Amino acid sequence: METMGAIQDGPLFTPALRQPRSLREAWELKSGLGDRAVYVSGGTLLRTQWEAGTAAVPQVLIDLRKIAGMGDMIEAEGYLTAGSLVTLAACRSSSALASAGPAAAEAARQIAAPAVRNLATLGGNIASGYGDMLPALLVHDAEIAVYDGEFLSVQPVEAWLERRWSGSVPPGELVAGIRLPRRETGGARLAICRKVGRREAFTASLVTAALAADWDAGSRTLRGVRLAAGGGSGRPQRLAAAEALLEDAELTHGLLGAVYEAVESGFASYDDPFASEAYKQKTAGNLIAAELWRLLESE
Amino acid sequence: MLLNKESSGSRWRVRPDGQDKVSGRLQYLTDMSAEGMLTGRVLRAQQAHARILSIDTTAALAAPGVHAVITHKDVPGLNGFGIALPHQPVFCSDRVRYTGDAIAAIAAESDAEAEYALSLIRVEYETLPLLEDAEEAMKPEAVLLHEEGNVLHHTEYRRGEPEPAFRECAHVVEETYFTPRQMHTYMETEGGLFIPEDNGRLTVYSATQHGLMDRRQLSRILALPEEDIRVVSSPIGGSFGGKDELNVQPYGALLALRTRKPVRLHNSRYESVRAGLKRHPMKITMKTGCDREGNLVAHKVRIISDTGAYATLGAEVLNFATEHVVGPYRIPHVEVEGFAVYTNNGVSGEFRGFGGNQAIFALEGQVDRLAERLGLDPWELRRRNLRQYGDPGPLGQPIAQTHGAVQVWEALKASALLRAPETAEVPETAAEDNGKRAEEKRPPWIVTGTGAALAMHGAGLGYGIPDPAGGRLVLALDGKIEAVFGYEEFGQGLIATMEQMLVEQFGFAADDLRIIIGDTDVVPDSGSSTASRSTSMMWMALQRLRPEFTAELLEKAASSAGEPAGNLQLGPGGVWRREGGLLISYTELARGLKEPLVCQTVFHYPTTPQPRVGAHFLYTYSAIAVRVELNLLTGRVRITDQYHVVAAGPVANPQGYLGQIEGGSSMAVGFTLSEDAVMAGGAYVTKNMDTYLVPTIIDMNGRIQVEAIEDLPEHDTYGPRGIGEIGSVHLAPAVAAAIFQAVRKRVNKLPVEPELLQETLFTTQKAVNSYAG
Repeated sequence: METMGAIQDGPLFTPALRQPRSLREAWELKSGLGDRAVYVSGGTLLRTQWEAGTAAVPQVLIDLRKIAGMGDMIEAEGYLTAGSLVTLAACRSSSALASAGPAAAEAARQIAAPAVRNLATLGGNIASGYGDMLPALLVHDAEIAVYDGEFLSVQPVEAWLERRWSGSVPPGELVAGIRLPRRETGGARLAICRKVGRREAFTASLVTAALAADWDAGSRTLRGVRLAAGGGSGRPQRLAAAEALLEDAELTHGLLGAVYEAVESGFASYDDPFASEAYKQKTAGNLIAAELWRLLESE
Repeated sequence: MLLNKESSGSRWRVRPDGQDKVSGRLQYLTDMSAEGMLTGRVLRAQQAHARILSIDTTAALAAPGVHAVITHKDVPGLNGFGIALPHQPVFCSDRVRYTGDAIAAIAAESDAEAEYALSLIRVEYETLPLLEDAEEAMKPEAVLLHEEGNVLHHTEYRRGEPEPAFRECAHVVEETYFTPRQMHTYMETEGGLFIPEDNGRLTVYSATQHGLMDRRQLSRILALPEEDIRVVSSPIGGSFGGKDELNVQPYGALLALRTRKPVRLHNSRYESVRAGLKRHPMKITMKTGCDREGNLVAHKVRIISDTGAYATLGAEVLNFATEHVVGPYRIPHVEVEGFAVYTNNGVSGEFRGFGGNQAIFALEGQVDRLAERLGLDPWELRRRNLRQYGDPGPLGQPIAQTHGAVQVWEALKASALLRAPETAEVPETAAEDNGKRAEEKRPPWIVTGTGAALAMHGAGLGYGIPDPAGGRLVLALDGKIEAVFGYEEFGQGLIATMEQMLVEQFGFAADDLRIIIGDTDVVPDSGSSTASRSTSMMWMALQRLRPEFTAELLEKAASSAGEPAGNLQLGPGGVWRREGGLLISYTELARGLKEPLVCQTVFHYPTTPQPRVGAHFLYTYSAIAVRVELNLLTGRVRITDQYHVVAAGPVANPQGYLGQIEGGSSMAVGFTLSEDAVMAGGAYVTKNMDTYLVPTIIDMNGRIQVEAIEDLPEHDTYGPRGIGEIGSVHLAPAVAAAIFQAVRKRVNKLPVEPELLQETLFTTQKAVNSYAG
């Protein structure tokens, strides 16, 4: 019944708006204000939480959109770098992202609806800890640039997720952007992201599954295999056991069953009012095995 | 005739209210404002079932910007509302029964001040046991939600001797069907503007499907004569039955009268979900038997309908379901028992289809299951049992006879979907990816199926319920032809249809007309805009008015121009000579008038003579075939093709007809695949449209075709039948049948659960290729 009361106890005031010009300034504001302030860019996720009463409207909004350079995508030094303020609409249409991170571009295509994607940002999707971009970023070996008040440092998405989900990310720490390695290996790199929700569009994800690997058609072998899944507000995760089955192994129809089972048993999700964990696990296994099946059939 | 723009020719007209609606220029009633207006807000119950120990509004009243805080003590008249049974408290005094119950209302100068003041009202509760399940609520030990008991309404219908008859059956199937708590999800949530006038009257600008009924209900609550209340109720941003009952009106009216200032209320989507009506979730258990030849012999039905905390039209919906679980089939032995049961869930009420959707899902499911037992084509089994011209209605009552049931059966039989479903997929109107899809080889996890269903659906309120009809045609003093009706426009296209009828039947030009609806100060009692009745009633009213109004206009023209009336006829712009040439314009004709020229008709919706409350007399018949694509990886279903055959008499407005069938079918797609207002502990789990999922355009990108059967028997005098609901009532069983054809799994619960249909295609034991065979 708690949340029912919260429906009426919506905003009784308009939060103050601060618009820092630099990461440093943003971090200082947050450090000074603590729980009274939250970072915001597009605000699309936050406002659903405020409306639902699952998060209180803070006294101060620290609007990150005035920070210079955070809305750019740059290709340099073997990386594609994208700032946190890049919108999901931009991710969706970026040819640079389509090339360096096709699964991430595909993930962006499947998130929400145009009006939301025009506002929602890459940084917000990541900072939530469960955004649909994350499984794709995991399979692309992306790194997240974080700002801790002094230094801008990069860390693998997986390591960042570990910190995020163990509660060890300090509240002031900012997601500044991502970078994706531009791989220059021989053969075609396969990169796919699939989302399943409760309807065909504009729906929260039940399961988002991503896959990336180098495919050597000659030996019918996958290398550098990355599998990941997430969905809903669950933790996006690499699927290590299934990856190990596929790495350097000859891909056969016979192997698909084992991969399916490894994904199904390895994917930790949760029951929600609309789908059971078992459904999500099966779906993740099916989505990944089906993509491998397509690969075999395409030969 | 396949109904579309091409086949309709010049009858395909631009809707008069269309441009303002699609451009966003149209002002809905919730867009209105008035100088010095206050914001009204309602405090809803924090518990789903509790005794109220105390209500303290002191702090709220003292809060900044607050002009009034009112509770049950401030209701001058009846503290209750409800179209059929006015027992839902305007404000609860001693007990709350669902989380939409109102306890207090506030008028303040701003939204924020109203919101803040709301948070200062202190209500002490003593929690009472929660009734979340209708069958639990029926147990003798259950706490009583209302003094008269937890069963709002009980229905029974019986003919023959089902029990012994089952023993003679060759096949008997038993199944229990479950349907969801569907939400109307109108784009415009409930709200309005309430203005106390200087002369002591009250003007209510707020959506409803029956302005005069709102006026009557408000009069009781406010202890104000009906004449002192003016209800302006159109245009409306969607209703689908959901705004027929009062919602915010009592609060706006009471606050406006208390503060003597205009008050505006407009529910947020959250409050709309929490307080608004939903479709009755039903549990329908059926036992149905047939002989070896496939003749239906016996049918036994038990309906449990969760009507929520208060009555509204829960009894009437159950009556409708009781009638429609028998449907268009000849069954000698029938026994139906229904219960509408109070619970602490959200209030269930009127919703497009009105209990038919639930009933038809179950009934058609039984026919399909019996066909499987018989090894017979399900469509052939329907033919063997289908009602024929001359047969009584589902409850044995006399009905207006047509060949509708057989006609829609035959037309669907001849449709490409039933003849050759595999080749019927023409992606002409579907989204672009369909073209590619057809070229690609389908992966083995995509399977398809075709299914069909048939329905008869009653229109009008039914026997024993006042169902007035009527309207007025006027030559106004400014020369406009006024059509004045007590109907409401909530998107269904009523104004467009009225215009088309006046143009086609009288010869007027659209510019000659002024259509006046939705204002209780002006309109006659035409009855409610519900139950697929408005088009029929407008048509019948014009049939009655036409001879007299035409004659009066012609005589006036004859006397003012000195030509015999017999040489004249009505036409665009004025009265014309039969041999050609405009004689006198309507404007000129009006100049000679001292008073407007008025013709009025009053009549009653046609009803069956058999005294069974709620039984119908006029029916629309429809058959539907659908093709679905099922993804075994995810268990998700996509509807790629729909073919509707509708027998509803003449098409009054082709665009409106098509729009109603397509729109109804999209609501049915939601009912079938994604929509369910989930409740737990008396609270909605789906509080907003991010979890309550209506179909999007991507979910609706399959093809929809509508074939209209227009002919009626020669003696028929009732004209076009309603089509507002028929597009929404039979898609679910057709989809269930298509799913069965695809994967041999029976769906008995809606929305369809993907978990039921998901397959494990890749296992160490079984590779996909062996599955795909």
